[in-house]
Amino acid sequence: MSRLLFKRLALSFATLWILSVLVFGAGQVLPGDPARAILGPLAEARAVAVLNHQLGTDRPLLVQYWDWISHFVRGDPGMSYAYRAPAGPFIASALGNSLLLGAVAFLIVVPLSLFGGVWAALHAGRFVDRAITLLGLSATVIPEFVSGIVLILVFGVWLRWLPISATAPRGGGFGSQLFHLILPSMPLVLVLFGYIARMARAGTVEALAAEYTRTAVLKGLPRRDVLFRHVLRNALLPTIAVIGTQTGYLIGGLVVIEVLFRYQGIGTLIYTAARAKDFPLLEAGVLSVGIVYTLATLIADLLYAALNPRVRFGAGE
Amino acid sequence: MSKDRKRLDAVRRDVGVLENDLFDELLSGCIGRRDFMRHGSVLGLSLPLLGGIAGAVFGPTLSPRRAMAAGTPGATIRIGIGQPAGAIDPVTIADNGGLVLLEPTGEFLCRTGPDLVLQPQLAESWRPNTDGSVWTFKLRQDVTFQNGRKMTADDVIASIDRMADPKNSANALSAFKGILQKGNSRKIDDHTVEFHLDAPNGNFPYVLSTDNYNLVILPADYAGDYEKTFIGTGPFKLEKFTPKVGASFVRNPNYWGKPALPERLEYSFFGDQQSQVLALQGGDVDVLQQVAFKGAQALFNDPNIDVMSIKSVSHQQVHMRTDMAPFQDKRVRRALALTLDRKKLVAGLFNGRASIGNDTPFAALFPSSDPTVPQREQNLAEAKQLLEAAGVGKGFDVKLTTERYMEIPDYAVLLQNFAKAVGINIALNVEDQNAYYGKAVFGQSDWLDSVLGITDYGHRGVPNVFLSAPLTSDGTWNSAHFKNPTYDKLVAQYIASPDLGGQRAIAGQIQRLLLDETPLIVGYFFDELVPMRKGLAGIPPIANRLFMEGAHFT
Repeated sequence: MSRLLFKRLALSFATLWILSVLVFGAGQVLPGDPARAILGPLAEARAVAVLNHQLGTDRPLLVQYWDWISHFVRGDPGMSYAYRAPAGPFIASALGNSLLLGAVAFLIVVPLSLFGGVWAALHAGRFVDRAITLLGLSATVIPEFVSGIVLILVFGVWLRWLPISATAPRGGGFGSQLFHLILPSMPLVLVLFGYIARMARAGTVEALAAEYTRTAVLKGLPRRDVLFRHVLRNALLPTIAVIGTQTGYLIGGLVVIEVLFRYQGIGTLIYTAARAKDFPLLEAGVLSVGIVYTLATLIADLLYAALNPRVRFGAGE
Repeated sequence: MSKDRKRLDAVRRDVGVLENDLFDELLSGCIGRRDFMRHGSVLGLSLPLLGGIAGAVFGPTLSPRRAMAAGTPGATIRIGIGQPAGAIDPVTIADNGGLVLLEPTGEFLCRTGPDLVLQPQLAESWRPNTDGSVWTFKLRQDVTFQNGRKMTADDVIASIDRMADPKNSANALSAFKGILQKGNSRKIDDHTVEFHLDAPNGNFPYVLSTDNYNLVILPADYAGDYEKTFIGTGPFKLEKFTPKVGASFVRNPNYWGKPALPERLEYSFFGDQQSQVLALQGGDVDVLQQVAFKGAQALFNDPNIDVMSIKSVSHQQVHMRTDMAPFQDKRVRRALALTLDRKKLVAGLFNGRASIGNDTPFAALFPSSDPTVPQREQNLAEAKQLLEAAGVGKGFDVKLTTERYMEIPDYAVLLQNFAKAVGINIALNVEDQNAYYGKAVFGQSDWLDSVLGITDYGHRGVPNVFLSAPLTSDGTWNSAHFKNPTYDKLVAQYIASPDLGGQRAIAGQIQRLLLDETPLIVGYFFDELVPMRKGLAGIPPIANRLFMEGAHFT
């Protein structure tokens, strides 16, 4: 187990380093330059040159990269070009917001879709099964900017039940913030429900047909014990892996949702930093999502190993 | 009338030649009330005086200022604006979201009011010398910054020098180019400043007005860190600013002028227009800074929302490279311009909320525009003849490069369809704004290098900027690569001309020259749209600006 952990960690660091190089390289290909992005297209070339010099973006690329990475590994992500303030607090606040939105969506979608998937499997072939599968599939294929707008129009504009903005007003407290996150998390729930429910259904159907389940039933165990101790434990293993891989999307891939619901998450932060060629903010943003994603998949792997002795012992050999 | 005439005669004895020319134009019927008010304000005549004279000639009217003065104070007004692109600093900020945030706490020497009339703000009056090369501004004496310090000529000079200094990365540097250099603003006394211009300029006060978006007056010792204080002299003071989220301001109790009506202003930043529109419909905000017609149509049918439609000179310029095929022949350029059905453009792109353009930056809204210049209409037969004469009667293929911004991509498609009728096949290349502007210098910018392109130009109180950088031979935004010495000379004369009659005579020549040469197609000038919750009133209809001090709920 510890060898697995070490191997995974080493791989994660290598991945993050390659990511930082790729993002830096890609950032250079983007048109324009940071000072031009700040001062706008109509600013004088002299003013742009002065600002680029002040920001240090007129230095050779390797110098810029080295300057940034050497500070980053010491815990200093540098100063944002556009905001002329340390990038750290921007990243921390945006990442915190994204984690909160992701957590709210997770807390709603995971129990809901697991229940839906297992319920469908237990009624396989019947109307309930077909309804859950069909609804899940339909919801998954609707892009979140479409479902987001429909949800805003219905619950925010017409019924006025829920606030449209994901950002709670000042002094609203944590409860108010959670309330403001209900509507923005709905499109995510819709996208993920069908996916996770289908995995849970497939796993459960397979586990229900497995020989160990038949043995458990034949030896007279109560139905509830069969379900919880034998079926679900095996059925949910692939589902856990799937949930783990969705974390990256939930944390860094929600640009559309964040813009639509006016929420300062890490997705929007990265997107705007890329547009402004705000390299320190862009790099730090992408790497934080990378770190969260790596951690999530690591946790999912470890959880998988913990639940599945075959993986655990295979790795320990 | 005889009493009024006597009073007018008395006024005429006290003013200079330029002012008397203006009065002559008024009395002879050459200009109307709006033009008289507007140009009189440029010459530094006070608005009450101008109003009195105009009232004597045309009969009284209610000024927009007085109309908005009444209202219940104490409201909190929530405003949705675009996400500022970077740190808020009056020296560097360039985008609409950032610039609108300067307005609650910052003030200008004068501001462009509705109908482009200049209103005094921190300057109480101004006056040119006889040729318009030196302008003297008298400052208000009762103005204090929010930190309690008095505003003096030193602050004004420092604010302007900061922007005009090439050593600073100032966004307004381009606005001062060829007009006023650092060090040429001189203090006469604590409340009088003299500006010695590079060349005579009849509309110079506009350069120091809200037209020069960044030029709020800051304390002389301002050294950055604007976001901590939002220091200025305005009717509000900063309560809280949170980067990327929003800002709130409260009424400034020590404001020199009439206290603001709202108790608080809450600005929320939005990433795109759609989310702003939905937030307004859902009641999360009370007013939006400004929206493009495209994507805001739902607001016009919402019974809870009013949309203020403000006439503006904002437009999209279609440039044609005059120095390379296929547009090096002016007949080809004219042919493309003749394919446009401008009424259809205005109807299709804006549902009528725009005015037809005549391929020059002279919008009818500018008092100096010559209304006798014939309007270019769609004429496919003439277009075909011109192409024939230019040797491209069978048509040709050309690429149109432009930016993804407002209605421009739709405009490009309409142009493509219009041009097809005479055999011009336009291939579209619609880019992200960053890609289109590129490095914004010749050779490294699709905007400046493309053979055919469309570029957005925002509202200005006078056409000087539109006439110079995009069209003069040495213009830094001259994407048409138009080089015409006669034009350059006319523009220099126009800019120097201190009286409206003279400006209009030169404007007519410029308009005719541009129609003949057609380096640009200006199909329309669109209205600026400010949507707000029903019952919100007191926001003056000023294009590109959102002054909130008179806002209240009825």
